[in-house]
Amino acid sequence: MKRVSLLKLLAVGALLTGLGFGVVSCDGGGDGGGRAGGGFPRSETLYVGGSQWGDPTTFNPIVEPWLLSWPVNDRFTLMYESLISYNTLDGSFEPGLGTLVSRDVDRVVVDLNPAAKWSDGVRVTSADVRFVFLLGQRFPSAASAFALQFISDVQVEELSDGTERLAFVINKDDRNNPLVVLDLLQAIRIPPAHIFEQLLAEHNNDLRAVQALKLDHSPVISGPYNIEHHNSERIVLKRRDDYWGNDALHGGNMPKPRFIIHPIYKNNDHFATALQQGNLDISQTFVPRIWLRKRDGVHTWFDEAPYHLPGTILFLVINTTKPPLNDVNFRRAMAAAINYTDIKELAVSGYAPEMQPGAIMSHRLEAKYFSQEDADKYGVRYDPEEAKRILAEAGYQSIFRPDGTLDHMLDKDGNRLPTLSIMVPAGWSDFEAAVKIAEKGLRTAGIDARESPVDGGVYWPARPSGNFDILISKIAENVTPSLPWSRFEALMSSRNWAPVGGETPMQENFGRYNNPNSPEYNPRVGQLLGSVPTMTNDDDVRAAYHELNRIFMQDQPAIPLVTIPEQLYQFSDRNWKNWPTSANPYAPPNVPWVGVNTKVLWNLESAR
Amino acid sequence: MLKKYPTIKFISTRAGWYFITLLVAVTLNFTLPRLGPNNPVDIIMGQFGSGLSAHEAQQREERYLMEFGLIRMKGGEIVRDGEGRPIRTSLIEQYGSYVGMLAKGDLGTSFRSSEKVWDIILRALPWTLALQIPTIILGWFIGNLFGAYAAYRRGIFDKALFPMALFLNSFPFFVFGMLLVYAFAILFRWFPPMGGYDLALMPGFSFAFILSAAHHYVLPFLSIFLIGVGGGAIGMRTMGIYELGTDYIKYAKWLGLKESKVLFYVFRNAMLPQITGLALSLGTMVGGALITEMIFSYPGLGMAMLSAIQNQDYAIIQGVTLIITVSVLIANFSVDMFIAFFDPRVKAGIQMGKGG
Repeated sequence: MKRVSLLKLLAVGALLTGLGFGVVSCDGGGDGGGRAGGGFPRSETLYVGGSQWGDPTTFNPIVEPWLLSWPVNDRFTLMYESLISYNTLDGSFEPGLGTLVSRDVDRVVVDLNPAAKWSDGVRVTSADVRFVFLLGQRFPSAASAFALQFISDVQVEELSDGTERLAFVINKDDRNNPLVVLDLLQAIRIPPAHIFEQLLAEHNNDLRAVQALKLDHSPVISGPYNIEHHNSERIVLKRRDDYWGNDALHGGNMPKPRFIIHPIYKNNDHFATALQQGNLDISQTFVPRIWLRKRDGVHTWFDEAPYHLPGTILFLVINTTKPPLNDVNFRRAMAAAINYTDIKELAVSGYAPEMQPGAIMSHRLEAKYFSQEDADKYGVRYDPEEAKRILAEAGYQSIFRPDGTLDHMLDKDGNRLPTLSIMVPAGWSDFEAAVKIAEKGLRTAGIDARESPVDGGVYWPARPSGNFDILISKIAENVTPSLPWSRFEALMSSRNWAPVGGETPMQENFGRYNNPNSPEYNPRVGQLLGSVPTMTNDDDVRAAYHELNRIFMQDQPAIPLVTIPEQLYQFSDRNWKNWPTSANPYAPPNVPWVGVNTKVLWNLESAR
Repeated sequence: MLKKYPTIKFISTRAGWYFITLLVAVTLNFTLPRLGPNNPVDIIMGQFGSGLSAHEAQQREERYLMEFGLIRMKGGEIVRDGEGRPIRTSLIEQYGSYVGMLAKGDLGTSFRSSEKVWDIILRALPWTLALQIPTIILGWFIGNLFGAYAAYRRGIFDKALFPMALFLNSFPFFVFGMLLVYAFAILFRWFPPMGGYDLALMPGFSFAFILSAAHHYVLPFLSIFLIGVGGGAIGMRTMGIYELGTDYIKYAKWLGLKESKVLFYVFRNAMLPQITGLALSLGTMVGGALITEMIFSYPGLGMAMLSAIQNQDYAIIQGVTLIITVSVLIANFSVDMFIAFFDPRVKAGIQMGKGG
C-alpha cells in the first residue's frame, strides 16, 4: 500500500507542478509577442526599482496619476512626455516636447518642437496639448481638470518656420498663479489627441469608459520607450529606435539600454538585496546604512554623509484649533523640546544636513530665499530649558512623578490637560522613529504627548478632515518650480478654510492655522501667498519669502523635523556606469525615468 | 422523514451547517472592511487629494464614491438630495448588492485596473497551487513515513529524528524562510533570493524558463516542505507508538500475525488524524501562501492580496479573503465526510442514527 501511494502522490504532485507552470507559461506568453524563451540580454537591459509596488494596473495617461502603473504614473516621462522638464539642480527648464520661451504674469509661452512625432508617425501638435490641458472644460472629473484653476486657455500661433507657439494664459479670475503653471507644464504628460478623440467617439463621449481602457498593447506614445510586456512580476519596456528625440534632442544617438525592466518586489529589502547582488541597477527605495554597500558597487549622489541631497521637509503638523495647541507659546515650547540632530542621525540614517528653523530649506535652490539672520532671531532651536521656560511663562504646569517621568500637565487655570497624540502611519519606520524621538524630547520638557501609530485608513483621512492633535507628514513632496511657495501654501493657506471635521475637507493647511473668522486672523499670510506667484522682481520675492518665513517661525503652525531626499537615489555600477553624482552632476540625483533625468539613459555606458 | 437514510441525513445536516457558516463568513467578509471609521474614498482623497480645489475635490470624491458603489444611482445618474449632495447607499443596500453579485459568481471589479477580480485570482492561483500542493503532500507523506518508521524501530533513529522534527516543526515558517534566504541566497548564492523565475526570460514552454522556474522553486519549496516533514513525523510517531501499545495490536501479535500485517493495522489506524491534518493544511494553504510568497516575492494569490492591499483595491482583497474562507470550509467539510465514512467509530454512530 505504501509504495503505491508514494508513487501516486509523487505523480500527482509532479502533474500539478507541471500544470501550474504550464498555465503560468501560457498566461505570460500571451502578451509576450512570441518572444518566449528569447529573453532580455543583461548587457542590453537596465533593471530599475522602486516606482511600482502592486500589480500593474493601467497605462492610460488620462487616468489620475496615482492609479497608474510605471512608467506612466507620477511625473514619469518615458512613454508620454511633458512639454518641458525642470532641472532641480540649477532651476533651469530643459526641453521636452516643447521649449520654454518666456513667462510673465499674463502667460507662459512654449514652442512646440516641430520634429516631435507620435509613434504612429503623426506629428505632435497644439491639438494634443489643448486636448489634455483643456479636457476639464469638457469633463469636469478629468484628471487634468485642476489645470483650469491656473490657465484659462492655450492660445496657438504659427511661426514662420512652421513651429507652433503655445501661450498658456494665466487664469486671473481663479488662482492667478504663473508659478504653478510651470509646475503643470513639467508634470502633465501629453497624450495623443487623435487617438483619444477617436476613442471618445467610439465610446459615446463617455470619459469613464475611455479611462477604463488599459492601453497596454503597443499604445501610441511620443517617448523613447514603449511597454513591451507586463505581469505581476515585472514591467518590461522596449526602446523605440525611431524616437523623434534621438535626432532632435540627442545628436542622433539612441539611449543605451534596449530594454528596461522594473521587477515588482514586495518590500524594500528585496530591492536592496537585488541592488547588492547586481540584479538591479538603480532603485529609489530606502536602503539603510548605505556606506556598507559600497563594496558591492552600490553608490549614491555623495560618496560621504549625508549621501543624498535634501529635497523635502518632514513636519509635525499641529492642529491649531485645539487647546492647548491653539496657544502659540505652547507650540513654540514644543519646537524647542525636540532634538533635531537625533532625528537626523537616528531616524533617517544621517541622510540629511542640519535642520534650520522655518519652512525654507537652507540648501539647494531655496537657499537664496533663506535668511540665516531671521532664523537665528525668530526661529526656535532645540533647547529643553528654553522649552520649560516658555511653558512656565505661559502658565502651564507639568506634574512629574517621583521617578522623574512626566505624569500630566495643567493649563493656566489649573485644569488637567489630556494627553496629546502624535499620529504616525504604523510601519513607516523612519517616520515612527522620528516621532519617538520627538515624543521623548516633548515629555522630558514636560509636554504630555504620545506617539500614536495608526493604520493608513485612519491617517490619510485625518489630514484633510483635521481630526488629529499632531501628525507627522511630508509637505510638498516633489521638488517643483513653485517651491518654496507651494510648501507655504500647503502649510498656511486659509484659501479653502473649513472647520475641523466639517462637510468639506481641506486639502492644504491640515492644521487649520489662521482662521479667517477669528479675531487673531492675520490677513498678511493670505496676501503674501497670493502675491508671490505674480512677483517679477527677485528682491520682492526674497522679501516676501523672508516675511512669510518670519510669520511661520513666530506662529509655528507646524514644526519642521528633518529634511529628507526628494527621491532616494541609489545605483549600482556593476552593469551600467556613468551615473550622475556630485562629482559628475550632469543631471540631478533622480531616477532616469523622470523629466530631465531621462538623458541619463543616453549617457550610460555598459560596464560589462 | 430521513430516518431511514441516516447517511443522507448526516450529510445534509452537515452541509446545512457549513452553508450557514459560509453565510456568516460572507457577511463578515462584507462587514469587517466597513467597520473602520473611514470608507475607502476618504482614504484615497486624504492621500491623493492634495492641491485640489474644494470644487474639484468634491467632483473627484463623487466619482470615486460612484466607482465603489457608495452612492445611489439611477439610470447612470447620481441621485441627489435637496442640497445637491449625492445620497449615500445604506449598508443594507450595499450588502444586498454584494450578496446578489456573489450569487451570480461575480467577485466584482478591480477599482484600479478595471479587471474582473476572478481573472486576477485565476491568474495568480496556478502559482500558489504549483508551490503549495506538491510541497504539502510530499512533506506530509515523507514526514509520515519517517514518523511511522521511528515509532516502530525506536532506538537511535527515533532519538535523532524526534528532536529534529520537533525543532523543525516548532520553527515559525517565515523565520525559517528568511534563514534559508540568508544562507542559500545571500551567503552562498546558490539560489535566487526572490521571484518565481529569472526576469530576463519570457514565461513560456522553453527549457530556459522551466529550468529557471525550478531554480526559483527550491527555497520556497524547502521552507514549507521541511516544516511539513517535521509536523508529519511528530504526529505519526506519537500515534504509531500509541497504536502499538493498544490491546488489539498485542492480541494480533499473540495470534502470531505477520509483522507486516501488524504494521499495516498500526499504519491504517494511526493515519486517520494525519489525513485530517493533511486536508486542513490543504484548506489553509491559500492563507498560508501569503507569508511564504511575501518572503520570496513569489508570484501567487498571496502576492495578489498584498498587491491589492498596497493598491487599496478592496474588491480584490475581499475576493481573495472569500476564496481563503471557502477553501477552508471545503477542506473542513471534506474532512468531516472522510472521517464519517472511514472512521469505523463515527461511521457506526451515524448508522445508529446518532450522527450529525
